[in-house]
Amino acid sequence: MILGSFDISASALTAQRLRMDVISSNIANAETTRASYVDGKFVPYRRKMVEVAPVDTTFKNMLNDKIDATGAQGVKVTAITDDQTPFKQVYNPTHPDADANGMVNMPNVDVLKEMVDMISATRSYEASVTALNASKSMFSKTLEIGRSS
Amino acid sequence: MDLLSGVSYQRLEGALHAASLRQSVLQNNVANVDTPDFKRSDVQFEQLLSQAMNGGHSTLIGKRTDARHIAIGASGSIPDAQVLTDKTTVFNNSGNNVDIDSEMTKLAENQLRYNLYIQQLNHDVKMMRTGMGK
Repeated sequence: MILGSFDISASALTAQRLRMDVISSNIANAETTRASYVDGKFVPYRRKMVEVAPVDTTFKNMLNDKIDATGAQGVKVTAITDDQTPFKQVYNPTHPDADANGMVNMPNVDVLKEMVDMISATRSYEASVTALNASKSMFSKTLEIGRSS
Repeated sequence: MDLLSGVSYQRLEGALHAASLRQSVLQNNVANVDTPDFKRSDVQFEQLLSQAMNGGHSTLIGKRTDARHIAIGASGSIPDAQVLTDKTTVFNNSGNNVDIDSEMTKLAENQLRYNLYIQQLNHDVKMMRTGMGK
């Protein structure tokens, strides 16, 4: 029972770590104008986003949950999607990727937004670590039942 | 003679089960703090136990032949812990209603509660040992 609760926190740690990796990738590529080569043209980097959902969404799991009332079990990453907002247009005629009018397509990454997401991911990660430590101490307390001191 | 199946042990067993279930449920809330449209759950037990101990208002008492049957009236037995999902409130604009501060507070409270139950259980065991002259 308690061991199962370790898995819940572990799934959250994995998900938040992946969010962190994606945010790092976004910040690292905030100035990348040549992320891919499509139809003879360079396309800038598109901001990536992580989609998360509770693990328990299948009918079987939901039914078992209603019968045994064990609660849903953790979180999972369902997809990493591209942010479809338009690229930033910057006037920079000396840039190698500038068009005839001197405009350059820059990635749609807002570093400020990434920093906010990063703080949120860090805090969620820390909260899950705290929950995991609570479970650990409860588990070792359970082993003390009936022990003569 | 029922040495280890007294009502005190049964209550403590129920309370420990409820506390470990609540730990899982709270951990799940914390894990899903960033999940859109997730609704938080909580475990109800202490209130149900005090209701059962004070006796229900109904004089009609249903007989339960299976642990999954719904209890009717005061059964006198230890109630089962129930997982309740709060579907009505919204805390932020993603439709999620997990308040991380309240979850962490509940987590700490539940941990202390669990330790208390274990301590009480050990105390009961110790009394039993004393009674046996060991």
